[in-house]
Amino acid sequence: MYKLLLSWRYLCTRYIALASIVSVTLGVATLIIVNSVMEGFTVEMHKKLHGILSDVVVEAMGWDNLVDPDWHMAEIKQTLGDDVVGMTANVRVPAMINYQVNGRWVPQQVMLIGIDDKTYAGVSDFSQYLLHPANQDQLSFNLRATGYDARLPTSGWEYRRAKVEYEQAIEDEVQRIKAARRVDLRQGEQSQAGHDATPAAAPEAIADESAFGVADAPINPFAAGRPQGPVDVFDPATEQHTGVVLGISICSTRFRDKDGQVKDYYLCRPGDDVKLTFPGTGVPPKMISETFTVVDLYESKMSEYDASFAFVPLSALQNLRGMFDPLSGVPSVSSIQIKLRDGANLNACRDKLRERFGVENFAYRVQSWRDLQGPLLSAVQMETTILNILLFLIIAVAGFGILATFFMIVVEKTRDIGVMKALGAPSSGVMSIFLGYGLALGLVGGGAGVVIGLLFVANINRIAAGLEWLTGREVFDPTVYYFREIPAIIDPITVCWVVLGSVLIAVLASVLPALRAARLHPVEALRYE
Amino acid sequence: MSNTRIQPRENASASRRAAGSSSVSAPRVDDPHSETAIHPGGGAHKLAKREVVLSARQVHKSYKKGKHVIPVLRGVDFAARQGDFTSIVGQSGSGKSTLLHLLGTLDSPDAGEIHFQGQRIDNLPSRERDAYRNRSFGMIFQFYHLLPECNTLENVLMPMMIGAGVFKYWLGRKEYIERAKHLIELVGLSHRLTHKPRELSGGEMQRTAIARALMAQPQLLLADEPTGNLDQKTGREILEILRTLNHEERLTIVMVTHDLTIASEADQMVRLSEGLVEAA
Repeated sequence: MYKLLLSWRYLCTRYIALASIVSVTLGVATLIIVNSVMEGFTVEMHKKLHGILSDVVVEAMGWDNLVDPDWHMAEIKQTLGDDVVGMTANVRVPAMINYQVNGRWVPQQVMLIGIDDKTYAGVSDFSQYLLHPANQDQLSFNLRATGYDARLPTSGWEYRRAKVEYEQAIEDEVQRIKAARRVDLRQGEQSQAGHDATPAAAPEAIADESAFGVADAPINPFAAGRPQGPVDVFDPATEQHTGVVLGISICSTRFRDKDGQVKDYYLCRPGDDVKLTFPGTGVPPKMISETFTVVDLYESKMSEYDASFAFVPLSALQNLRGMFDPLSGVPSVSSIQIKLRDGANLNACRDKLRERFGVENFAYRVQSWRDLQGPLLSAVQMETTILNILLFLIIAVAGFGILATFFMIVVEKTRDIGVMKALGAPSSGVMSIFLGYGLALGLVGGGAGVVIGLLFVANINRIAAGLEWLTGREVFDPTVYYFREIPAIIDPITVCWVVLGSVLIAVLASVLPALRAARLHPVEALRYE
Repeated sequence: MSNTRIQPRENASASRRAAGSSSVSAPRVDDPHSETAIHPGGGAHKLAKREVVLSARQVHKSYKKGKHVIPVLRGVDFAARQGDFTSIVGQSGSGKSTLLHLLGTLDSPDAGEIHFQGQRIDNLPSRERDAYRNRSFGMIFQFYHLLPECNTLENVLMPMMIGAGVFKYWLGRKEYIERAKHLIELVGLSHRLTHKPRELSGGEMQRTAIARALMAQPQLLLADEPTGNLDQKTGREILEILRTLNHEERLTIVMVTHDLTIASEADQMVRLSEGLVEAA
């Protein structure tokens, strides 16, 4: 009982010791903050990676060597049984995109992915990163009228019609000017030739004019047989090419304006037409070029994906590339993505599939999403571990501060220790007073650290904003991270470990002083002045 | 003060009463030497033959200071009888405090034996000696030695807190607090229950220390110059309390002092000089 009482009294009366545990408090707070933010990043990244990659991917070595996806899916279903929740086949080929910016063609390298819009959403989180709310529910490769994310400038049919009108207007103006110039020219000729020209020259000049293409159909000898109307003529104001969903970084740049505000500028947007060039199936592959219409943008905030993925309908890509067996018409794909049920053993499923599609018979790679992003995940893991070790070292340093303070307190309390021993307190009892004191200090320091840490994490974005305002420097740069806010997730188990560790360090630091106190000789302690 | 009675420990009180009523019971078999060596001085009103409750035989003790070994006690014989007020006098450095520490198991002798109620206690394991200090001996010091973080009541309760585990203390806390308050009343400090030692005067602190010493119902009170740090009047008061305890509760008291007038009022006086007992 006296141990509790005295530990408590020492805690309440020795403020110098409380000062010594401020470092523990700060260490604990920092550990919690760092772990929460790292956890936030990791979870966010896992979610993204996992969402985009699905659980397990069976991928052919070669873009079109996975022949007959339906048979493969049946085999996978049979191998894994109920663990499979969804499957989708897709084609991945490297490609080149060209879009027009201010009349110039801008080429860029992309990964062209043919996806099955019916099943793809069931396997990955792809659709939730799209910028049109309706596409987030059900992806459609048809251009939407309007209603894209507010960040985008006017997009969709609205934009496309306006653009076509604008281009038409320019075209009309160009023609008008050309026509006017021609009229000027002719009049000039006429006035020049007026002296010697015969009137018979005039019809010839009119026929010349038709050769420039401004004149109407009757002159075209083939036009007569064709049906009139827009059936065959592509009208960009009402029609679109095959849809493509572009990663947002392919067609936008992010910069700071002169006020320091982060701005996005879209080089092309839903409603624009782009040209995609990709290899066919032959050897050596021939390039196939086709015009697509951008129907939506894709923003996963993983710059690696946002800057390189372009999604088109699977069937369209298969048709364009001729990915069918010439005799049987069986289609082929590049890979099959598999989504497992929650709680299914990822590695076990992967290994089963590896066994089923053995390398001897199938030139396939069977990989889980963790395998695919292994280096990145382990790099983040390592960063977290190193940070934790460093911060724990800081708390350990704080432990030495506690050690010194405790020695001081033991010296100060020498006489009281003698008194307690004279009253019959055993050495172990005296020792446990100081161990208990250390424990109490650790708990107080750790507890305060937890409170500070949790408050900090809860208000981390506000604090970042405050720091920004105070220092004028951006703490969290959205142009770097593609996160608009600092993600932070508090893991209760981590918090428990941190507190446990800090309390343990405080107790360990009190062991030596406590031993010293216990070993004091009562008579000498009583004599101590 | 005469109407208050301190409840002694059952087994100890039984033997004490037996010893008091029939003085011939429980003959000392282990220590005939001390019977002859110590002559009770000035204790005429008490019974001539009483059981020796605490004794030291040929106790040697020396301290090391650097390379030098300084002998403090050089074969001291001592016996305190049941119910006696024994005083130990001597010059500074004569070893009287050291003897008291040895008797109170705070220290162990280099040679010789300490006996308490017929049992040798100087060579017991430290745990058992802790228990003796906690339950059987009450100790009073010249510098009071109260714990500065605790108030009067808590200081008085301290022996119980130390002796009983948390659970046992919790169960018996009402009874303990009752007794502590009773003892504090006995020493006349009821109005200072929640005062910290630094808010008390020297006399008040010493009274608190006496109440603390009595808390665990010891068989023996060891006082190390209890009046040494007090003015004469306050010292008198403290001495009066001790004497009353000795008379009314028949509590055995061993007191170290250098004040001969105080010492001479004891039942028995032992003079120490240069580590040896002087003949009375």
